[in-house]
Amino acid sequence: MNNTRREFLKSAGIGAAVIAAGTGTGSLFLGSASAASVSLGLVGTDGYITLPGRPEPQDVYIFGFKRLPQNRLNSPVGDIVRDYKTTAEHVAPILDFREGDDITIALTNAGLSIRPDLVDSHTIHWHGFRTPLAVFDGVPEVSIAVPELREFDYFYRPHDPGTYMYHCHFEDVEHVQMGMTGIVFVRPRNHPTWAYNDSSTAFDREFPILLNEIWTTVHDNDENIQESIHTDYDPDYFTLNGRVYPQTVLPTGHGSLPNQPVSSLIQCRPGEKVLLRLANLGYQQHAMQLPGIDLKVVGEDATLLKSPGGDDLSYVTTTLYLGPGEARDVIFTAPAYSAAREGGSDGHGAYNRWWFRNRSANKLVNGNVPNELGGMVTEVRVYQNSIPDQTSAGVTV
Amino acid sequence: MRLAVACLALLGALVGVGPAAAADPAGLVCSDGPTFNLTARAGGMETPDGNTNLMWSYSTTAGHFQTPGPVLCVDAGDTVTVHLRNELPEATSIVFPGQTGVSATGGTSGLFTKEAAPGGDITYTFTANTPGTYVYESGTDPAKQVEMGLASALVVRPPGHADWAYADSSTAFNGEFLVLLNEIDPELHSAVENGQPYDISTLHNRYYTINGRSFPDTLQDNGVPWLENQPYGSLVHIKPYDATLNKRPALVRVLNVGLANHPFHPHGESLQFIAQDGRQIKARTTGNDAVTEHFGETVPSGSTQDFLLSFRDQDSFAPGNPVPVTFPSYRDMTFKDNNTWYSGSPYLGTVGKLPSPTVSQNVCGAFFFPWHSHALNEFANYDVAFGGMATLLRVDPLTGCGTPGLQTYTGSPASVTRTSPTPVATVSNGQQGLAALGGTRTDVTSNTSGTTRRVEWYATFTGVPAAGVNLKVAYSGYNRLTGFLSGLPWGGCTQTVRIWNWTTSAWVNLNTQTVQRTQVDIADLLPAGPDTKYIGTGGNGGEVRVGVACTRTFSSSFLSATFVSSGDLMQITYDAP
Repeated sequence: MNNTRREFLKSAGIGAAVIAAGTGTGSLFLGSASAASVSLGLVGTDGYITLPGRPEPQDVYIFGFKRLPQNRLNSPVGDIVRDYKTTAEHVAPILDFREGDDITIALTNAGLSIRPDLVDSHTIHWHGFRTPLAVFDGVPEVSIAVPELREFDYFYRPHDPGTYMYHCHFEDVEHVQMGMTGIVFVRPRNHPTWAYNDSSTAFDREFPILLNEIWTTVHDNDENIQESIHTDYDPDYFTLNGRVYPQTVLPTGHGSLPNQPVSSLIQCRPGEKVLLRLANLGYQQHAMQLPGIDLKVVGEDATLLKSPGGDDLSYVTTTLYLGPGEARDVIFTAPAYSAAREGGSDGHGAYNRWWFRNRSANKLVNGNVPNELGGMVTEVRVYQNSIPDQTSAGVTV
Repeated sequence: MRLAVACLALLGALVGVGPAAAADPAGLVCSDGPTFNLTARAGGMETPDGNTNLMWSYSTTAGHFQTPGPVLCVDAGDTVTVHLRNELPEATSIVFPGQTGVSATGGTSGLFTKEAAPGGDITYTFTANTPGTYVYESGTDPAKQVEMGLASALVVRPPGHADWAYADSSTAFNGEFLVLLNEIDPELHSAVENGQPYDISTLHNRYYTINGRSFPDTLQDNGVPWLENQPYGSLVHIKPYDATLNKRPALVRVLNVGLANHPFHPHGESLQFIAQDGRQIKARTTGNDAVTEHFGETVPSGSTQDFLLSFRDQDSFAPGNPVPVTFPSYRDMTFKDNNTWYSGSPYLGTVGKLPSPTVSQNVCGAFFFPWHSHALNEFANYDVAFGGMATLLRVDPLTGCGTPGLQTYTGSPASVTRTSPTPVATVSNGQQGLAALGGTRTDVTSNTSGTTRRVEWYATFTGVPAAGVNLKVAYSGYNRLTGFLSGLPWGGCTQTVRIWNWTTSAWVNLNTQTVQRTQVDIADLLPAGPDTKYIGTGGNGGEVRVGVACTRTFSSSFLSATFVSSGDLMQITYDAP
């Protein structure tokens, strides 16, 4: 059903030219200096993630998205289902787009191995997108949903740089909690290292971080064919990019976390401008702090903080309060390295450690594990020596 | 409980007392002040899963029980007087956060304000503060009485500008909507109903409401009889932005009278955040408007936020400018529960075919987008998802969608009059030439001397009901030289199609372009509303006049020529009962 578009991309020779090869983890620099057509594929299916404190083997059943390698975009749906069923990741792959590009996301519903009785459809809702056509809003009641073993092409032409999020909107009270959540962001066309079309938002490194909660009751109920009462919501895990501390500081694609590939480790050099692309798809508000380092909020909900009359509305804070469904673009300047300050050493040498954490200490635990730091916290490592440039947002160096 | 409510409804019908809601199917419903007679009383609210909760609420003393209480609308500077009668089993009161200098007469003293005893009265008076959106609520045992529903909205308008949110022309709006957020723990309400101990520390919310209803009841019109105690719908119903026809944004007044903060997420288009708690948001140093756009905004408990909304499609996607993806057969897709708000076509104002047995709630290719709390546990009715604190944004095509209960009518001219040059006699074929495309034409001749030649004429339509809305104009015609030159190309004249405004006694231009020998079909011309000013009254009752004027200035008298405005079709359409 998509032969026309795919044939066009192939024949025009732009399919390969504008699309970086997929790594399967983290995000990709997509797009080019002039408006381009970008295609990618996502699979909606089930799978498992790992959380400390869970009974062995520490698995939690999830629904989620998995990104298709670019060379599988033309595969028949049956082959995609065979190869990608029950490979869901959480968080969903980071989507990195450029302002003005024509973006097609092919969503394939590969079904649920663990719950073959549950013939749920899936959708993609680009949360916050100024949607010119309701059909691509991904809300099944007002547009279209994708049943099992079917594929649908979502089309977007983003005009507004900034940080957004995306999630499945099919029975979303359940599917969002089950893990079908991720970050999507849009770079200014001519300034990919600015958060917005404004030089005050220039950065050296960027870190998309999705805040979330996991109420394992729903996951266990879904796995065991039981219903949940959503107004009983009572989460027991608090995640950054689908991981809890100390998972959050493990590198991208760490072998112990095969389905939680996205790291939240913030690596930088003294003096660098670091952009945090923050979004919250939990059901609770979160108060995030980076003690010792000022946070400058330059954008909210994919809108530059500048008034229509040109007033600079950005602000500096020590506590960032982020409600469900809200996004913030925050820039901080990495402080100088000091050997006298607390820190550690990894493959890049010595670093000072700063904590990016939730102020609500009840969210700094992992389930029932006592007396150990966990949950919604990660580290900012300011290295003494030079470190490699980032290849893409969300991928550790 | 449900039986008792039904009996009350019958009583209400017999004595001719209805809910306070006005006739507008969607949008904020005002109770106009500055003097209000309110009664605090008990009544039921229904939830979409079939439950009924006892509520306490303010109602107009002459009106039916309603939850939430009436939206009190006043002008800034008004002396506002609120008489409160208490029909609850315990003392109650009203406080007005955001208002200063509130005085109370009568009643008895209470902890936060003076109160009315059960069966008693009290009167509050204040001078309405700066324009904005405010809460009014019980000041007596709030942990019980606010949870029970004693809270609603006070709207203060800038004097002389009922269509501005603030005394600032940048806040001018077209269409005004109320989004009043609340939550309900049915066990606490049941405790009050049954005289059991009330313990707020056991609070466990199960229902989440907008304007006193839970989704999908929120979509029902204002004042529907089957939600007799919950008169306020919250469908946000707008048309897309257009530089001439729909320049003004809609105003959305959001209030949170619940005990929890609620993160509200509008789909489809971001909202321009203009004010919080009755104060415009300004840049600290310059005093400029500090408006920012948001796709999610947490509304704190007790707070109000005002937003402007314009729906824009900067890509102008349409059947003639399609998106570059191929749509699969709808038979391969899911339409949830075979019931959808999707029209079957991706494009605004167009309708497609959906596979049976799917039923569409979409009659004219409108767009629908959910607006809901993104604390998704609140996007549910107890255990049923896709409910609770949610409503829909409905975007109609710019040319309108008809109105429920109205039919669309097409009118043809009853007569044709030439006003320049006089006399009338030079009109040939009159109104008959304009009745249908093709066939005879209505020819009106310009003046015959001078270098500037002009013709002005109009068609009169009669019998248009005063309640006619969504008026649209169509004209097809060309302009030709006279006599043996009539077949020649000639450069044409500047043609204006216009409509008579009976209020200002002036023509309103709808379309201007150069039209020569080739016929130009002009359709869907939309006069700027309201339509009532184009429908005559008194001796001209039911008359609509659509005119054509055409002017050509020639470079010399030698080269000047007489021309004819040749009309093929002139038509109006409108919706009326």
